[in-house]
Amino acid sequence: MTGSAGGAGAVTRRPRHALSAAYVLRKCLSAVLMLVFVVVVNFFLFRVLPGDPAKAFAPRGRNADPEALRELRERLGLNDSWDVAFVKYVKSVFSGDLGVSFSQHAEVTDVIMERFWPTVLLSGTALVIAAVLGVWLGARAGWRQGSRFDRLGSSAAVTFYSMPEWLLGLVLLVFLNRYGIFPARGMNDPRSTLPAWLDVLWHMVLPVTVLAIVYVAEYSLIMRSSILDERRADYLTTARAKGLRDDLVLRRHALPNALLPSMTLFFLSMGFVVAGAITVETVFSWPGLGRLTYDALRGPDIPLLQGLFLVFSAGVIVMNLIADLLMPLLDPRVRAA
Amino acid sequence: MSSTPPAPKSWLTNQSARRPWARLAVAATAALALLGVAAAPAVADGTPAPAASERSKTSFVIGVKQDIDSLNPYVGVVAGAFETYQLMYDYLTTSAAKDFAPEPWLAEKWETSADGKAWTFHLRKGVKWSDGADLTAKDVVYTFQRAKDDETANGQYSSYVDNITKITATDDHTVVMEVEKPSPIMLRLAVPILPEHVWSKVSAKDAATFANDKDVVGSGPFQLAEAKKGQFYRFTANKQHFGGAPNIDELIFTVFADDTALAQALRQGEIDMAQDLPAAIAETLVKEPGITVNDAKYYGFNEIGYNLGAATTDGKAIGDGHPALKDKQVRLAIDHAIDRKTLVTKVLNGHGGPATGVIPPIYADLHWNPGSAERAFDLAKANSILDAAGYSKGADGIRAKDGKALKFRLFGRDSSEYSKQTAEYVRSWLKEIGIEATVSIMSEDNLTVVLGKGEFDLFEWGWVVEPDPDFQLSVMTCEQRSYEEDGEIAAGWSDSFYCSEAFDKLYAEQQTMIDPAKRAEKVKEAQRLLYEDVAYSMTYYYNQSEAYRSDRFTGFVPQPSEGGILAFQYGTHSYRNLKPVTAQAGDADSGSGSGGVVLWVVGGVVLVLLIGGAVVVLKRRSNADDRE
Repeated sequence: MTGSAGGAGAVTRRPRHALSAAYVLRKCLSAVLMLVFVVVVNFFLFRVLPGDPAKAFAPRGRNADPEALRELRERLGLNDSWDVAFVKYVKSVFSGDLGVSFSQHAEVTDVIMERFWPTVLLSGTALVIAAVLGVWLGARAGWRQGSRFDRLGSSAAVTFYSMPEWLLGLVLLVFLNRYGIFPARGMNDPRSTLPAWLDVLWHMVLPVTVLAIVYVAEYSLIMRSSILDERRADYLTTARAKGLRDDLVLRRHALPNALLPSMTLFFLSMGFVVAGAITVETVFSWPGLGRLTYDALRGPDIPLLQGLFLVFSAGVIVMNLIADLLMPLLDPRVRAA
Repeated sequence: MSSTPPAPKSWLTNQSARRPWARLAVAATAALALLGVAAAPAVADGTPAPAASERSKTSFVIGVKQDIDSLNPYVGVVAGAFETYQLMYDYLTTSAAKDFAPEPWLAEKWETSADGKAWTFHLRKGVKWSDGADLTAKDVVYTFQRAKDDETANGQYSSYVDNITKITATDDHTVVMEVEKPSPIMLRLAVPILPEHVWSKVSAKDAATFANDKDVVGSGPFQLAEAKKGQFYRFTANKQHFGGAPNIDELIFTVFADDTALAQALRQGEIDMAQDLPAAIAETLVKEPGITVNDAKYYGFNEIGYNLGAATTDGKAIGDGHPALKDKQVRLAIDHAIDRKTLVTKVLNGHGGPATGVIPPIYADLHWNPGSAERAFDLAKANSILDAAGYSKGADGIRAKDGKALKFRLFGRDSSEYSKQTAEYVRSWLKEIGIEATVSIMSEDNLTVVLGKGEFDLFEWGWVVEPDPDFQLSVMTCEQRSYEEDGEIAAGWSDSFYCSEAFDKLYAEQQTMIDPAKRAEKVKEAQRLLYEDVAYSMTYYYNQSEAYRSDRFTGFVPQPSEGGILAFQYGTHSYRNLKPVTAQAGDADSGSGSGGVVLWVVGGVVLVLLIGGAVVVLKRRSNADDRE
């Protein structure tokens, strides 16, 4: 494929690099702009929440001393006018300081970091398992559309997909825990005699299973429909005509093309991994960001919420950026001309 | 596909037709590995659990429902946090298990001057900090001085120390405090004594964010060994404590975010006690073998509050409360229309009792009730009171007087099912006496704001009452109505805007009475006045359900002795006295199922994976000759 360079016509062919520098720069720039936008919106977003943080986080709660409350409001910066507070906020965010959490009495960055890895461990593992399993199931089902496997698999997928996570979690927890098979809470057992990593793995089994079961449907359904799209394609007829076994036609020819939509979904979900799964984290008392968010809404704990949403948004934006940069490598059709 | 010999590219490039499964597997493995590496710090920061040695310890594990917000005694506000301060540190006095009376603790004895303005505390000798240093009067002086001067510390302890004008150590074991006015609170100074040689290194600036979760130096009956925020807090017994060596080696608080999981963990034996279970869930545990459910009296009461004429402390009227509620006859009628028995049986499932005085019966010495003079549930009487007061029914069945219909806004709280149900019941009873109530449910934070502005007629809420009655009574003083600040109305403690000279006088009198019996008289009188004025319509006192493994642990000390609570007390009575049922602490088969089972299961899972992997590999081999 040789092409004359520098043509102005729309159909002129040029040597194509998967990623042009301009494309990368454009994508990075828009990611940065989005982040800045999030930082700004963040500030206003949580100031419209009702409630009185000072009252919620004062010692003795409802019994707080009015005098102490006045001092606390001053200290928390709740008395600042909007513009003063905004300037303060922007300055501190860009110097990497997210402030002090009202409810946890610690630096927001520390509070979030403490909960960050447990959440990534839980949702990330579940996501990878769900993607692998879902792709496999969906591909099988789509390839043999209408077979028993397809009918059973798809209806099971839809059933679990529409099931509330917490309900599934509770049912599994109560049922299995009854026989002492899995622990009922958290990430570690303070009385465990197992090595630490095994203990964590052991505590992960149930919540990861629940999340994976719920996520799997997304992948299997998307995969199934993209396999259905590919099934009648000419290149598959060619492959079949070469005398390849049906199985190989699926694996070597149909699958790579059909995988692309799932890839996109995977990266999108990856962005949401840091946000954790509030309901599952709650049922299994998992020390993650999802539960932290839920707790932070009480009050509201404005600095913590701001920090959390910044992290969540950054997660999604960064993962989208990665997806944007990978897609041209994976799929020639989306390459920038 | 392409016939050019492909340069080895990464699996992500468009070598599209080469073994997608293998690529996917590699991708998955890579992702998992990444996650593993990423999560490693989270996993590895726990001390690797030493095998076997752990087993020889007796650990008592309590499941709690709220994470501890901070182990730093200057900033934590949740009940669990105060529990940890009681474990790690000592106080001058403690509250007796029997009846909450002040008891010697760090202070062996004390005397007060004739005018009640100077208090001398004699400290116990030979008390040591966990790092071996002596605890002396210097530490006590430091602690109180810092609670007065340091902004953060004062935010937490102002109610105890603001009345103290001067605090000095006359020798190593004697502390003298001078106070502005005599106060019985001097025997309930719930300020944990901190080691000066540690806390003097924590600057005023750091005090607000100091975590105090590592190498804590304390003198209390249990010392912090390990803190994992959001998960668990492990304390080891201080066997040298002057209160006697605890019988257990470890006390662990584990945090649960879900009630069902909490109950299940107790059934399973993952924990030994569940603190504060909802009644409905606690009832499912009653029949379980080896589990005892303690339906304990609690410190709280709930009420239907009235807008008695919202105003600021300087008497300026605020808000938009219905004027009819200033009429005592209307409140009397409403009070007669509340069927407390139904509330107790239907809302609390019987776990509580009808309420009268604002000091709950758990404080037997201070609690007041009208006895036979208690206002009964009587709709006919309520109706006749309103008739007599001139509120006549209109065509729509709603009473009115001077053209103003009795239509009230009634607020409930979304955080409590009990609150929603109570509000609904009250609404239906009010309908029976010709009053229309519109229920709205909102969050406690929002309701605080609404109450402070006086923009309500009726609400449902409750208070948790401390052993010292001072605070609970102060809520009803004129002083605690809302105040104005830069044109903004801010709420005081008062939620009803009750303001009565007679009550304020009683309040002020009890505040300076040091003789408990005399003071109790005044406190009861104040409660009687509130009841007669119908300042609140008291609804119920409620119980708290705790459940524990009675097949493993015994020796709990309830507070108070009669039907009291076992955990989260004023003091550490239960923790210091509970002991394992069997003499052999060693073979307490506790923990998450026995480790053996776990290993078998994990082994099984690994085996299945290996076999599955082998099958796949073999299958691939057999297909290998199918290559194009």
